[in-house]
Amino acid sequence: MTVPSGVSASRRPPRQQRQPRRLIWVALAAPGIIWLAVLFIVPFYAIFAIAAGRLDVFGTPVAVWNPLDWTATNFAAAWHDVAGAGAFVGPIILRTLIYVALASALCLLIAYPAAYFVARFAGRWKGLILILLIAPFWISYMMRMLAWIDLLQTDGYVNKVLSFLHLSSQPIDWLGGLGLTVVLGLVYGYIPYLILVLYAGLDRIDPILIEAGRDLGLNRVRTFIRVTLPLSRQAVLTGLLITVLPMLGDYFTNQLLSGTTGTTMLGNVIDDQLTSAGGVLEGQGAVFSLLFLLVLVPPLIYYVVSTNRSSRRAM
Amino acid sequence: MHPREGWTEDRRGLVTRRGFLKQTAGAGLLLGSAGSLLEACGGASSGTSGVLTSNGIPLPRPNHPVTWPIYKDNPAIKSGLPPEQNATLRIFNWVAYLNPQCMTDFGKKYNCKVELTTFQNMDDALAKLRSGQLNFDIFFPTIDVMGELVYGKLIQPLNHSYLPNIAQAWPDFTDPFYDGKWHYTVPYTIYTTGIAWRKDHVPENPYAMANPWAMPWQAKYKHRVAILDDARESISLGLMKNGIFDLNTTDPTQISAAGKVLHDLAKLTDVHVDNNDYTEIPSGQTWIHHAWSGDIATAASYMPKGVNVDVVGYWFPPDGKGPVGNDLITVLRDAPNPVLAHMFQNYMLDINNVLTNISFNGYMQPINGITPQRLVKEQLLPPSLMSTTVLPSYFRRGVMELQIPTATNALWEQAWLQAKSA
Repeated sequence: MTVPSGVSASRRPPRQQRQPRRLIWVALAAPGIIWLAVLFIVPFYAIFAIAAGRLDVFGTPVAVWNPLDWTATNFAAAWHDVAGAGAFVGPIILRTLIYVALASALCLLIAYPAAYFVARFAGRWKGLILILLIAPFWISYMMRMLAWIDLLQTDGYVNKVLSFLHLSSQPIDWLGGLGLTVVLGLVYGYIPYLILVLYAGLDRIDPILIEAGRDLGLNRVRTFIRVTLPLSRQAVLTGLLITVLPMLGDYFTNQLLSGTTGTTMLGNVIDDQLTSAGGVLEGQGAVFSLLFLLVLVPPLIYYVVSTNRSSRRAM
Repeated sequence: MHPREGWTEDRRGLVTRRGFLKQTAGAGLLLGSAGSLLEACGGASSGTSGVLTSNGIPLPRPNHPVTWPIYKDNPAIKSGLPPEQNATLRIFNWVAYLNPQCMTDFGKKYNCKVELTTFQNMDDALAKLRSGQLNFDIFFPTIDVMGELVYGKLIQPLNHSYLPNIAQAWPDFTDPFYDGKWHYTVPYTIYTTGIAWRKDHVPENPYAMANPWAMPWQAKYKHRVAILDDARESISLGLMKNGIFDLNTTDPTQISAAGKVLHDLAKLTDVHVDNNDYTEIPSGQTWIHHAWSGDIATAASYMPKGVNVDVVGYWFPPDGKGPVGNDLITVLRDAPNPVLAHMFQNYMLDINNVLTNISFNGYMQPINGITPQRLVKEQLLPPSLMSTTVLPSYFRRGVMELQIPTATNALWEQAWLQAKSA
């Protein structure tokens, strides 16, 4: 198909006019981009400067800013923790991955139908339901977790409800070091993020495309599988990225809802290293923090490639 | 380490993540402290008699006391000065460690305002003090940072003429091993670390056990056992379980073995690691908890309705041979109100004010007349928990967790990290 040259000329401003307009947008975006870049680069470099740093005369870690003075001591110590003779981090990494995978799957199972309902069927209640869904955001994460501690006590309301419904003959020790409690805590803590992102993605799907699927003879389930799900793939990916990243580094949920050695996650190890007396293990904590970044690079690349691909397809 | 480490204003006992940038900022300023250190090593007006050192800083020990030098450019204030007028005395202290009533009463008595700023751990507090940006008057340090405070010239020597109430303190504290001739400090709280347990769930009596330090190692109490989230305290527990009472050991084998038994404990009981001894034992969430005396002394405040505090027990070796710690009150070098600061120190050495303070935080102070019987009589302590009080003999016979060389500290921390990650 060709576009008549006259139409193109009337819709698009001349090159001389487009140039200043583009510059205005660049100027408007620049502060934000610079801000984000600085807030990424400076902390990243600070972490690296500690990871490659040394201890001072008081035994306190010192950030070494000059790359020529960097040492590999902390990297070697971290490697020793992962694969050396006294390695202990391997099972914790595995446990962390399992917890996060389970929590993410549960989040998706719960969040997708909720977001789908709001986007497609909530009608005039859409605003109210959205507000209710994001209401937990108004309370700090710490306070929400503290509330769960009270609810999950052996004589708490959760056990009382289970007992009332005859689902449990004796109180369950939810806070006694159960991995399930930690996973459910992660789900509860991060699910609002996923719902919001999924809602934004599902709400953008043009209803005409879904109607077209139905018109072409697909039933509801097949329409969902063949039309809605593929169109919401980007939202699912974005939502999972947003929830998985903080879950991987989470240490607070486990600390509050379990606190036993049997549920330790990698975030707890890093937290312990950062809060070691005198900060003597802070350098190793910095190395593990950097490792997190490395782990996160592949999914981020996949996300960027996938987004670009779908954008091109849409054009 | 400290019983109040990690406490927040929102809720007791929560640990927070420290920021890297804060540390790096402090580290940069450390260069200044290191300079002072070198200057101190070369130009001190009086020497020290400590044998062990860490990077040139003497490490006080009961058998090797240290008298810190007094520098010409950091003298004590002159005698006979009037207290500063219309001043605001600024206090830098742990969270929930000083009764607000004491501050209010002091402010009324000396016609001044008293402001409290809190910190969550000693590393953060020192980083802030090193920055030189904060003008606090009073600081509550632990013993193990004395070298850094003196050599870094962060605190000023005391003028004893403002502190007559030192006569009310136990005699040991007029010449303690960590600050000979009490040049820089007056004592604050004193506490022990022992074993708390619920008598209604745990029939074993630690007083009848051959090795009570091994009490947590019981598989039948799986999920009901907790140890303190503190490298020094918990590795010390492992050492004592193994029969070693040098809680400042530099022997890697002993440290490793202590870490190993804690690892075993984790496998055996899926042990809780937290500093919530003051709530978990009263609530019954845990039945055996490695605990601080001052925390358990407040158990009555946290008992569920209908449960008598008598079901809570606290064991510390009756011969006093267990971990004992004490905290300090110091005047900062750049204190804007040094006279008022001295007077506040003096105020906190008076028995009546001490009793007011104990009624708030549960931690006793080494003051003559503060006895188990007095605390019970004042209804500050249930009779069943008299074992949480510290006796003067404990300070002499007890074992203290003191500053250790940096390399050894790393060994302790690594052993603890591995034990926690079982």
